[in-house]
Amino acid sequence: MFRQKTVADKVRENLLGIIVLLILALLPMRANDFLLDTLVRTYIFVILAVTLDFFSGTTGYLNLGHSFIFGLSAYLTGILYVYLKIPTEIAILGAGLLGTFGSLALLLPSLRVRGVYFAILSLLYPIIFIGIVTTQPFSLYLGGEGGLRIKQLFLDIARKLPPTERLAFLHNAYYYLSFILMVASFIVLYKLAYNEFGFKLRSIGQDEELSEAAGVNTTNMKIKGFLLSAVFASYAGALYAGMRPPITVDFVNTGSILLPTLTAMIVGGAGTIIGPAIAAFLLTLLYQYLWGLVGLWRTVAYMIILLAFVLIRPQGIFFDIYLRIRRLVDKVIG
Amino acid sequence: MEFTLIKFIFIFGVLHSFIYLSFALGFSLVFGVAKIPYLSYAGLYTLSAYLMHLLLTKAGVPTIISAILSIGAVGGLSIVIGDYIVKPSMKNPLSIFISTMTVSYIVEEVFRIKMGLTPVALPALRGVITIAGVPVAQQWIAVLIIGAVSSFLVLIYLSKTATGKSIRAVAESWYESMIIGINPYKVFRVTMLIAGLLAGVASISLSPLKAVVPSMGWSPLFVSFAIVILGGMGSIKGTVVASFIYGFVEQFVTWKYGGAFASIVPLALIVLVLIFRPTGLFGEKE
Repeated sequence: MFRQKTVADKVRENLLGIIVLLILALLPMRANDFLLDTLVRTYIFVILAVTLDFFSGTTGYLNLGHSFIFGLSAYLTGILYVYLKIPTEIAILGAGLLGTFGSLALLLPSLRVRGVYFAILSLLYPIIFIGIVTTQPFSLYLGGEGGLRIKQLFLDIARKLPPTERLAFLHNAYYYLSFILMVASFIVLYKLAYNEFGFKLRSIGQDEELSEAAGVNTTNMKIKGFLLSAVFASYAGALYAGMRPPITVDFVNTGSILLPTLTAMIVGGAGTIIGPAIAAFLLTLLYQYLWGLVGLWRTVAYMIILLAFVLIRPQGIFFDIYLRIRRLVDKVIG
Repeated sequence: MEFTLIKFIFIFGVLHSFIYLSFALGFSLVFGVAKIPYLSYAGLYTLSAYLMHLLLTKAGVPTIISAILSIGAVGGLSIVIGDYIVKPSMKNPLSIFISTMTVSYIVEEVFRIKMGLTPVALPALRGVITIAGVPVAQQWIAVLIIGAVSSFLVLIYLSKTATGKSIRAVAESWYESMIIGINPYKVFRVTMLIAGLLAGVASISLSPLKAVVPSMGWSPLFVSFAIVILGGMGSIKGTVVASFIYGFVEQFVTWKYGGAFASIVPLALIVLVLIFRPTGLFGEKE
């Protein structure tokens, strides 16, 4: 993982990635609507897993308030649409940015604390956010349990099309939007995680005092790393809110947003970026198709997987599998 | 501020503080002994309330017996969690965090699926008595007595018995207590049992006054955490003082500004303490 890469290595490594991305990019030609819908959700969870891993997997600061960032920008999209009458498309752009800055509300008070304290403090945010949204007087303005109603993304454009093409257009547009956001966040964070920036973050995870002594400005690095992770997470939240209104507390719910993400991070291999991405992709697909098999119990199944991995194999499994496949590909190519 | 408001705050502050003390003590003991946040506490709290409800309605067990049974079951489960979930990953604080939290979420999710989101009611003492012009439900008096008695018993246990003293010794230093011949794992199991029992007692006495819903356990967990942070890590004296401060602050906010703001109190308190006095009121420097 840490050896010097030659040019040939880079080509080979990217070859595998390019093939996978090409298949996914061309998928809408063949796939049915259900699969496309599922994949949109899958990509959102890949973004969440990658962003959580970029900050928490490398620095060791377990950010359990990740769903707070996601839900905050979702709610901001709704607020911009409902109260400022901004069209959904533009509201998403604004809410992503505002959500990134809003996430500083989580980070700044937590900068002084470490380890377990950081984790607990961050866990409080989504739960208190839900508490505020669902109790009066705030629930009157934020939609309460029913959620904030906004106009779906691209609905105006879709209405101008002939009725038979509308759904297909929306499915394809959502698919490519979430796909592009996923690819962008993955490439940016993957590149950063494996160069000097990422190694500075990792050094914080190894030993914060030592890394400070070695000349790393740890506070600065933590803020930068957190903001990079937050910007993609909050755009994912805003985009998902635009695609799946109404905006309810499910966007903030730790059980439905954070736990799958956390599972993906642990099962994929914390700090490796690509492992959590693969894990989030496969697990979310699995989750969607498990619906018929285990119905409501799928969330419990998720948690049991998480618990088993944390207790038995905390280093994860998908990064190892990925390395093996790459070695195999290396051998085949020669 | 008028006099009536002060009366309400004072009386409800006292009523809340003792029960907060009793469940914060369990959390604080585990925090002191094992240096871990016992996040399964939320799950245990929820579980005991639902267990009592099920015993009462499905099995027809008398109230007192079903209360004792569900408290005992939760205590036993707490030891099992300690042995099979906390102990294997004690060295890694982040794993412990995820695993204990997941237990709480599993409990929440199972009851969400099985019982739905509609609140269920536990039997409460009916009737209202008036203290200094303030109407108080009789169940609150029961909560006060149960909270005071259980926390008093635990405090006596900690200061007078040999096992209680060894709990404090292990909280002081895990390795040095091994040198003087204490088996810290045994002490750890006792601590987990006490924590489980206290969660059960608090839940059974307090839930008749509040709604029994799948997510009910998180609020007491955060209250305990706020109290432990405010009082100082693992400090018993700090926990006692902080419980009362917390109870009065929370009631002040509730009666003065409304219940919606009271849910922000734990977060605000934790943030303030961590910024201005990270060791808490009675904590020692690391």
